[in-house]
Amino acid sequence: MPATQLREYEGLINRVSEIFTIADKLPYNMTDEEVEGVLHILPGDLEKTLRAFLSPRVRNNSVQFLKMIKAWLTGAREGQQHGKKVFLVPFNFPVEALYCFENAWPVTSEVLSTMGVAALEGQGERYWDYAMGLGLPDFACSANMIEVGSALTSIDFVPDAVISDCFGSCDINSKTHEFLARYMDIPLIFLEKPVDDTERGINQYYRYFNTMVEEIEEFLGERLDEQRMRDVIGLANQASELFWELWDLHKFSPCPVPNIFSLFTYGTRFVAWGTERAVEIMQSMVDTARERLENGSYPSEREMVRSMWSYTSYYFDMAGLFNWMEENGITHLGDGLNLVFPRIVDTTSRETMLKGLAEIARNMPMTRQMGASSMSVQWLDDIMYASKELNADCVIYCGHHSCKQTWSGASIVRSELMKRAKIPTLFLQGDSWIRRMTPMSVLQETINEFVNTIVKKRRTPAGTVG
Amino acid sequence: MVNTLQEQSTDIYTEYVRDWKEKGGKVLGYACIATPVEVIEAAGILPYRIKAFGHPDTELGDAYLARFNCRFCRSCLQLGLDGTYDFLDGLLETNGCDHLRGMFENWQHVIKHDFFHYLKVPHFVRDDSLDYFEEELALMCQAICEHFEVDINEQKLSQAIATYDDIQAKLKKLYELRERSDPAVSGAEVMRIICTGSSMRGEDFNALLDKILAEKAAAKLPASRARMILLGSATDEIDLVADMESQGAFIATDALCFGSRSFWSKSGESTEPVRLLAEKYLSNLFCPRMFAEYDKRREFILQTAERANVDGAVIVYNKFCDLHGVEAVSLRMDLEKNGIPVLVLEKDYGSKADSGRIKTRVQAFLERIGG
Repeated sequence: MPATQLREYEGLINRVSEIFTIADKLPYNMTDEEVEGVLHILPGDLEKTLRAFLSPRVRNNSVQFLKMIKAWLTGAREGQQHGKKVFLVPFNFPVEALYCFENAWPVTSEVLSTMGVAALEGQGERYWDYAMGLGLPDFACSANMIEVGSALTSIDFVPDAVISDCFGSCDINSKTHEFLARYMDIPLIFLEKPVDDTERGINQYYRYFNTMVEEIEEFLGERLDEQRMRDVIGLANQASELFWELWDLHKFSPCPVPNIFSLFTYGTRFVAWGTERAVEIMQSMVDTARERLENGSYPSEREMVRSMWSYTSYYFDMAGLFNWMEENGITHLGDGLNLVFPRIVDTTSRETMLKGLAEIARNMPMTRQMGASSMSVQWLDDIMYASKELNADCVIYCGHHSCKQTWSGASIVRSELMKRAKIPTLFLQGDSWIRRMTPMSVLQETINEFVNTIVKKRRTPAGTVG
Repeated sequence: MVNTLQEQSTDIYTEYVRDWKEKGGKVLGYACIATPVEVIEAAGILPYRIKAFGHPDTELGDAYLARFNCRFCRSCLQLGLDGTYDFLDGLLETNGCDHLRGMFENWQHVIKHDFFHYLKVPHFVRDDSLDYFEEELALMCQAICEHFEVDINEQKLSQAIATYDDIQAKLKKLYELRERSDPAVSGAEVMRIICTGSSMRGEDFNALLDKILAEKAAAKLPASRARMILLGSATDEIDLVADMESQGAFIATDALCFGSRSFWSKSGESTEPVRLLAEKYLSNLFCPRMFAEYDKRREFILQTAERANVDGAVIVYNKFCDLHGVEAVSLRMDLEKNGIPVLVLEKDYGSKADSGRIKTRVQAFLERIGG
């Protein structure tokens, strides 16, 4: 097998940025014929993603989402050229905390990996292979390792610093980012979540959060400006209100919210919360869902099953998962990454805003569940709450290989969900970002079997579990 | 003495523990070197470090943890669920790593020990994290006192700290006997001794160490092909070390948590015993679970390697161990940069099927470094 060789222009961020520059040129309200024309000239992997994104029911929202990603990537590259500092952050870091600074810009590791998988020919495999070639373990998390693998090549865009707030909630994520910072010789700023939900533990987290903010201020040479904070957090608050509107729209059956909005929602949360673009895209999703509710639109003849995904979904074949499910009457109500439970931050003063940001950081997905005193108890509470609120018939655990912490608590969550709420859980196994591990056809087959043999039989016409 | 240990050291419920229980003694299980055993000792309880000794069966553990979890944890969970660890009067959880957290959480979910306390250990050392850890230790003392109706006072704690200071000094002497150019004790023997000591009361282990040191002072091992430092994750697989040594790879020293990492650098300055323990355990936790401390760990390993005059390093970790899996890459690079050849062995814990492959790789490594 030939060694992985990467040419100068082949870093993930650089390649994805170029592709999204082209995607940015897609107009709104494209006709089916125009879409087919575009898809016809694209390489296979990108064509598959765009086919999912440009399906008529989500087309305009997708175009808006692609433009948002493009603006975010451009903001990082151009911002750095103009003196801004770019921070590589994990998905569970609230990006609005960085937008509060004039001179900071976040790039989110897992979103970059996902965009690489979605947009690049060969997906993220070349970067994964590069990381493996360095000796990094094959049980590492592809959500990070694809982006980190690219950064490690030294031919890609290099962030100015890394922020890790995963220790306490994910060993592999935090170690990977620590490794990257050391290897690239860039500063590492960290925020620990004590696995302690008592008042003492929460106060300790606030202290750690404030120390982290001071370290960012020192690194940037910029003190947080209260008015800028208020503006950014005001936008984040607006997006949060729209999040809850969209959440409520999921409660209708058939679900008027297209499956892929789950991804768009947290994609937006992880890169753009605190910006006008986030408000715009959240608003557009709410509008689309409302319109579909009014029209009674659903992609298949009827909604057969409503599924809640308990952790991540799969991202290497968007059409194969999100679109395939809804076209077969299976609603994807959201996954663990949607469990952000955003709250409205009091913008009265710098202190109230800092406390509000810390509280938001403490409740970001994964931090909230896996960083809790018990890995299974908070997770179970959240899944049970979401499943009941959204009237889910079943839960699906994707079984992403690298999520050792969720694998550690998944059995308890499954048995307690059944015991307390009579909701069955399907365990899948695969890698959410790498197609080599379990092909989409196998996942579809397993979901089908589960839905047809277990879930459908339990479902009453009213949409509740019998 | 070491021969006697050899016969017993891979028993979970040892004669020593059985005697202790028959006399009405209590036993508390813990798993991570971040647990200050002095507190348990001061409570008059036997601190028992949970081990699996390479136990290969995991069918009960696998019903709760997954095959993507470290097999050491699955093996320990297996022994917790199949009744082997029924002699424990309680469990002390620490957030050593994601797998360990899962092991404790599932164990307690099924068995429901009357006493279960979670000691939350910060992942970095700073004044604020040290303060938090000190409070955690105070809460741990309180929980033990309330449940077992015992008193842990400053005097008892100071006494226990002194006992473990003695143990630390004696274990360092044992390492001197092992690391010298004509070693008196093998790597497998040292691991056996440390494993045995981790299931004993401090004063008894102290006495045992006196006997072992006296017995070993004049001993001399046969020549080996090469001297190694063994690094890596939690491993209590004495057979693995013995197998390596039987091929001529003398494990002259180690940085393992069933080895030097469990005792070597514990020190503190405070005169207040709980604060002193917080300093000793948090500031000297040479484990990749600690963040922004890689340089400190690397220096510890390089110094240890230099002291033992090793020809090479073997980094061993269990499949799915995130912390050591990533750390191994940096360590390999840095050790090689310092002229120490490295063998990285990712392995399945307790798997006999893996032993042939490991032997082949060790042999090949020995040939590579000219041993």
